[in-house]
Amino acid sequence: MKEKFDSLKASGEERISAAKTIAELQDVKASLLGKQGALTDILKEIPKADPSLRPEIGRMANELKDIFTKLIDSRTEEIRLADSAISADFDLTAPGLPPLEGGLHPITQMCYDLNDTFRSMGFEIFQESDITSELYAFDNLNFAPDHPARENMDTYWLAGHDAGRGPDRLALRPHLTGASVRYLQTHKPPYRFVYPGRVYRNETTDARHERAFFQYEALIVDREFTFSAGKVMIKSILSKVFGRDVPVRMRVGFFPFVEPGYEIDMGCLVCGGVGCSVCKHVGWIEIMPGGAPHPNVLRAANLDPAEFTGFYVNIGLDRLVMMRYGVDDVRLFHGGDLRFLRQFK
Amino acid sequence: MKLSLDWIKDYVKIPDSIEMSRLAYDLTMSTVEVENVADLGAQFSGMVVGEIKEILPHPNADRLRLCETDIGGETKEIVCGGTNLAAGMKVAVAKPGATVKWHGAGDPVVIKNAKVRGIESYGMICASSEIGLFDLFPFTEEATIVDLSAFGARPGAPLSEALELDDVILEIDNRSLTNRPDLWGHYGIAREISALYDLPLAEFTPYAPQPCDRSFTVQIDDPSRCFRYIGVEIGGLSVKQSPFKVRSRIWRVGMRPINAIVDITNYVMLAVGQPTHAFDSDNIKGHITVRRARDAEKLLLLNGRELSLSREDLVIADDEASVGLAGVMGGAKDSVLPTTDRVILEIADFEAISIRRTAARHEARTEAAIRYEKGLDPERGDIALSLSMKMFAEFFSGMKVTGFRDNYPNKLERASVDVSLDWLASRLGKRIESPDIEKMLTRLGFAVTFTNGGKDMRVAVPTWRSTGDVSLPDDIMEEVARLYGFENFEAAPIATSFTSAINQREIDMDRGIREYLAFRCGMQEIFSYPWVRGEYLDAIFPNREGMLSISAPPSPDEKYIRSSLLPGLLKSVSENLRFFGEFALFESAQVFKDGDYSSPYDKREFLPCQRRNACGVIVGASGEAGVLFRRAKGIIEWLPRYAHIESLTFAQREKPVWADAVVWLNIISNDAAVGSLALLSKKTALGCGIKNSAAAVFELDIDALKPLPSRTNKFEHLPEYPRTEYDISMLLDASVKWEDVYKAVTSKKDPENLIRGVSFIDEYRGSQIPEGKKSLTLRLIIGSLTKTLTSAEIESCAGTVIKRIKKAVGGELRN
Repeated sequence: MKEKFDSLKASGEERISAAKTIAELQDVKASLLGKQGALTDILKEIPKADPSLRPEIGRMANELKDIFTKLIDSRTEEIRLADSAISADFDLTAPGLPPLEGGLHPITQMCYDLNDTFRSMGFEIFQESDITSELYAFDNLNFAPDHPARENMDTYWLAGHDAGRGPDRLALRPHLTGASVRYLQTHKPPYRFVYPGRVYRNETTDARHERAFFQYEALIVDREFTFSAGKVMIKSILSKVFGRDVPVRMRVGFFPFVEPGYEIDMGCLVCGGVGCSVCKHVGWIEIMPGGAPHPNVLRAANLDPAEFTGFYVNIGLDRLVMMRYGVDDVRLFHGGDLRFLRQFK
Repeated sequence: MKLSLDWIKDYVKIPDSIEMSRLAYDLTMSTVEVENVADLGAQFSGMVVGEIKEILPHPNADRLRLCETDIGGETKEIVCGGTNLAAGMKVAVAKPGATVKWHGAGDPVVIKNAKVRGIESYGMICASSEIGLFDLFPFTEEATIVDLSAFGARPGAPLSEALELDDVILEIDNRSLTNRPDLWGHYGIAREISALYDLPLAEFTPYAPQPCDRSFTVQIDDPSRCFRYIGVEIGGLSVKQSPFKVRSRIWRVGMRPINAIVDITNYVMLAVGQPTHAFDSDNIKGHITVRRARDAEKLLLLNGRELSLSREDLVIADDEASVGLAGVMGGAKDSVLPTTDRVILEIADFEAISIRRTAARHEARTEAAIRYEKGLDPERGDIALSLSMKMFAEFFSGMKVTGFRDNYPNKLERASVDVSLDWLASRLGKRIESPDIEKMLTRLGFAVTFTNGGKDMRVAVPTWRSTGDVSLPDDIMEEVARLYGFENFEAAPIATSFTSAINQREIDMDRGIREYLAFRCGMQEIFSYPWVRGEYLDAIFPNREGMLSISAPPSPDEKYIRSSLLPGLLKSVSENLRFFGEFALFESAQVFKDGDYSSPYDKREFLPCQRRNACGVIVGASGEAGVLFRRAKGIIEWLPRYAHIESLTFAQREKPVWADAVVWLNIISNDAAVGSLALLSKKTALGCGIKNSAAAVFELDIDALKPLPSRTNKFEHLPEYPRTEYDISMLLDASVKWEDVYKAVTSKKDPENLIRGVSFIDEYRGSQIPEGKKSLTLRLIIGSLTKTLTSAEIESCAGTVIKRIKKAVGGELRN
């Protein structure tokens, strides 16, 4: 009889620990302890046994029942804890829930990237108003009295404020440069600041031309500054924006408020400089004008041009974003279309 | 501006070692932007001279012929419909593979061997318009093919070789010429190339005027507007075609050959940049006067248009009337006619600004005006005269000068600039040796004299750079730098000068607010135009009070500029509703009002009120209006904490015109209204095209917000004893306000000091709630600072709160 118990104990323990699921374990439990179970079968044979052995058999049967019950309970707990919290067929390929949908305009994103870079180089950020006077938009900047940009064609003059001259003639600013003089007038040298903002031009719009667009100016005015230092500055900014080293070249250019003036090109990132339709097959893309502030601009800010010089760049933010992402229509930036704006994280 | 390399080479011999790509690169880097370099000959590839040996009828077509054509060593049969075909004639043959335009129109097509009405044709015999040569070989009758018999080319010779069209055309970006009037024309660029590579530049032999039979006079009434006027009366001329080479060059750079006399004037302008003009001297009565026009003086143009002039216009006049608009265009009398045999050649220099104004006033930006308005050097008249007279003599063997006047009242002085060499070295970041500087400047036509023991130099500017272009030491520095090569300066690191860390609270607050709205509140930033469409103003701000406007707006309907960001935002809402049902947008930008005129910068300046605003809108289903409003309210409530600005509160003070009748609040900071928060009124929503949706809106004056000195948070010790959340639902009159409930709970001192917090959980009206009532659920945080509470103590605390609410606003407990 003892052998029977021993054998049942061994096989029972093995079957319990081999059970993988609660259902399997229930089956094992029934086959061991149920009405037709192995232990019951043994107990049914008690009447046939020697009466003196019956209590011992009963004791062993109860002991085994206890062992099985405990084992089954602990195995049940084991299986429960190892089981998935949801279900075995949970679909792991279903997408997760998205975070909140909001975001910054791609031009703001670019502007903040540049702000971070310039601040790391010790530049302050300057913000000024959109409406300015001819005094700051043109007179202070060495624009000839008859420069065509002053005419209605290019500048949005304000009705009722367009008859006078200089400080009396108001416009939506046609460029940012005028405000740099405002900064120079109200701060002390040396100067190192950037100035992001929206400007307005009376133009016919198409995929490459807008009436409202964003510029980003950086200006250094100091006692010593050479244009080759400016080139280093531009290279560091572009590598931040584009995430890699970008070739930069400076060539001769003309703008009334700088002397000397440069056109600053960067190597075409689409073709790597070998020439493609994006760069009109020259391998370079014009990205910004730059130069040393014209002596007359410094004078307008009460600085002595013999003492001070500097470096200025004007980055077209819209164009830079267009190049960064391959956007082919500048009008999308002011379109307020979520289908466009949500593409930029 | 287009330039022919072949033409440039008349003036500077460019060695073969300088490749075209390098030339274009060097010009771009140092002088002007070369936008395009085109191989002219390439467009004639696959085209050869053919000689027609025999012409046979086409068996299937009356108008077509079969031309047995010698194309160099072999004779091919080519089907052709030309009306001027003749045996022995030399023609242009486009062989299979060449690109032509059928009948001179449409897209270019590549020629293939093809059957024409059943007969195989080897390529085609071309009309000038089909191969882009109409201006050189004009015709009036249809189906006229190019007759090349006069060129003496052998059959089979490439067409580009036969017509000497192997040339390179450089296209220069005109913007990059703005400040360099000296570069207009082939000679100007040649001079620059000679300086860049240190090559000799061809010179013009000065014209020596001979004694004349008749002497007409030129009178300049206004020397401030006309600096020089050379008039040459030339007889013995006729209106005929000019030599092919001259016509070809004019055509290559984008102009149309006309006749020999006009071609000379255009050729001279394209060569040296000096506009010249020839007019039939038989039409001139008496003498020439350069004078201001009289008010309302009429000038009849060649095209029949009549201009009405003013005192501001300068005219060329004879003894009777004005004959031309000075520096802009000639009049009907002042032209070359088919019968012309005697002309007055005008080589003049006019003041730039008045030319620009006159050209703009009469909408006539002619080739002459474009050049004059940049400011030309009057000395340039000499080379223009030299070249003109040489060409007249060459083209017309019987040419005779019968009158000559050079009236030059304002002789241009060469500018002079003093430059310190120390200053130059400091600005360049490099010391270039004095002899090298002198060499570079001399190549550009400057004359250098060293002064002050070699420490300084006096630079005399050539006349062609003395019209305002070069006047400062900085200009001289640019000349040295560009000739030395910008790329040849070593990159220098930027020096740092640390004084203090950058701390700009307003700037950081602006960014903090945008990032809060975008990232924490899930709103999308947009940009809209400052000019606002009338339909949105009608819906939002119908009376347009205090709004500024643009004198020449983008469109008549976009005259006003925004005093609020709402119109732009709601336009975007209505457009996005086509694709999205629920979304949130915001914009941060300046708004403008007619008032508060002042300027902190210059006391002469008066700028209007300009404030930076942030405006947001949350859009959703109409039934969700209350939730949308509460979301918007939450955004403003939490803004001060997250963006670290001074606190904001709400009050109803002045309802925005666009707001819902009930659901609106003003946003208050330091007791001043700094913005509004509201549901959009139904009327405004409909007016903006927002249907079946609700929109909650806020607009805030960011300039009125005060950033806290730094990131501001308050630390509290973590609780030592347990705290319990205890929710209470009350059935209250529907009109009861949360604020009153909140005050009832918090205004009196809590005697046991157990209430750690009170918050609004939910408000419900619906099927289980009687009419006129609502269910309000609030949550208490109950806990002691000194011990663990028993449940009886917690219940007693909650009971006190319920009693206080009942006493203050009535109602009963629901749960």
